[in-house]
Amino acid sequence: MDPTLGSPQQRPSHRYKTLIMSKKSRSKLWFLVHSWLALPIWFFVLIVCVTGTLAVISQEIVWLANPQMRASQPSDDAPLLSYDQLIAAIKQAEPQILVESISRPDETHFALDVEVTYPDGRSVVVYVNPYSGVIQGTAPQFNFRAFTRALHGWWLVPFTNGYSWGWYLVSFLSLPLLASLITGLVVYKRFWKGFLRPTLRLRHGARIFWGDFHRLSGIWSIWFIAVISVTSTWFLIEAFMFDNQITISTAPVAPVVPRESVPLTADGSPAPMISLETAIREAKARIPGLEDSFISLPANAYSYLSVGGRSWYPLMFQTAEINPYTGDVAVTRLLSDRSGLELVTESMRPLHTGDFGGLWIKLIWFFFGLLLSMMVLSGLLIWTKRTALATANALKRSNKRPRAADATHVTSHDTTEVSQ
Amino acid sequence: MSLFAAEKPGSRLSRFWHKWRFHINVLLLLVPLGFMPKYFADAALFRGDTGLGEREIGEVQVGPWSLRLAELRNEAPRPDGPAGYMKSFNAALCDSCREQVKATYLRIGKPRSLRAAGVIFFGTPYRMGAMLPIPEKTKADAELWITMEGWDGAMHQASIPLSQASPATLEWLNKQGGKP
Repeated sequence: MDPTLGSPQQRPSHRYKTLIMSKKSRSKLWFLVHSWLALPIWFFVLIVCVTGTLAVISQEIVWLANPQMRASQPSDDAPLLSYDQLIAAIKQAEPQILVESISRPDETHFALDVEVTYPDGRSVVVYVNPYSGVIQGTAPQFNFRAFTRALHGWWLVPFTNGYSWGWYLVSFLSLPLLASLITGLVVYKRFWKGFLRPTLRLRHGARIFWGDFHRLSGIWSIWFIAVISVTSTWFLIEAFMFDNQITISTAPVAPVVPRESVPLTADGSPAPMISLETAIREAKARIPGLEDSFISLPANAYSYLSVGGRSWYPLMFQTAEINPYTGDVAVTRLLSDRSGLELVTESMRPLHTGDFGGLWIKLIWFFFGLLLSMMVLSGLLIWTKRTALATANALKRSNKRPRAADATHVTSHDTTEVSQ
Repeated sequence: MSLFAAEKPGSRLSRFWHKWRFHINVLLLLVPLGFMPKYFADAALFRGDTGLGEREIGEVQVGPWSLRLAELRNEAPRPDGPAGYMKSFNAALCDSCREQVKATYLRIGKPRSLRAAGVIFFGTPYRMGAMLPIPEKTKADAELWITMEGWDGAMHQASIPLSQASPATLEWLNKQGGKP
């Protein structure tokens, strides 16, 4: 913010009744700053908000659209199959298929996502019923979830060398968003009263309605806007750090199975691996509380089997790398292995996306995402009806009283446009 | 918006600007629209819908075994931070050797031993990938060496000229002018 904001301002003339919110020029300036933050790029901000809102429930939308993705329980007491049973069922149905990983989505009404490869070289996700092991279908070519995330996250700009510039473009919006929140609270005098006496006047015309709507949804969204803007500021910082080779990670470098522990076989056939259930059992014995919501099979003869799931802290995963020949747990990445800083930074993504506690949290994120999108729209509507006038008046004043010029300096980029 | 335009008539251009300046950011939508074909082409490439890679190199015989090799992208190596320039190759093992081959490696120049065989392929025998570092000082006549290791301890090697494996990489090396 401009340091001149703090300089003492002259009291405005009461002739300018259009600025009903404030009596001091200073808050008037805050108000103008607030009004101008998103305006020049309102449509971009709006689309980013809308795509983000869609991305939150994209998995659910696909679930609604595609019955193959649903997990129906054959009978009420039908048990879930183990990973070994699932792979056996998949192999029986399609003997040529090779399984790369299996993951159990958070919500039980989803089928399992199984990454497989086919002999023709296709590498796809198939939906597998967790009770029967039946392959219900192949994930469609158009991946709606990935698409909305890519559109929201990096504006589809490809990553060629480090982070894409689309990522910077989108995550940069976190700064005006944060500034909008702060200036919004500054200009909304005694905003906490809005919680006690919610006002939404429906019959006083569009301007009043959108103004009330903007303020009311604004105060109820304080926490959400703070979460979204802080987490996306982190995304901006994260990209900047990555592209400048700055790391705060304490994670160990991806390990490989030592050559001597990979057996040779006399007949030249692949060395036998322990069963997945044995691997998981051994890992759980070593690490109390380890969840097994996903399992990645070794990606080659010298790589580990990886098992992991959420910890008691829902924002973070714990994983264990297991030697597939001996069952030894080679490397773990637990909650307790994270540094204090990592606990904060690794929490950012789930906090941003809301995918850490099932459907209800997603619906809350979706609702407030919708509200935030509406705030961009209502802000624009208010602007077209009011702020244009306010800016014009502020300008007139500065022309009449040159001493107040430094006050309008804040909006210099706007005023130059306006005064042309 | 039209308020200001009305106050200051100005030129046609400035009137146009004042009327439409807040709509211009709609043009930012052209960015994802423009990248959409590329996005879907990449998605198909990674799913394997369009084959092993953007450019098939062909079948390479390695001792008793063979593999199909492809460049993931038909383009010059990409910079990858401090790791330098990297080039991605994909491969698929022959039908008969799928069960016998324990690991497959790639390297520029002949490896001195199995332990220095280069980068290892990740993935299944149907579709696996390796990221090969390409030093900027690589010679134009360099060879790409493929090392395959069997579950019984056997080792077989073969090489193809880099110019055959990746013409785009060779062109890139030539453009570098053989940096020291």
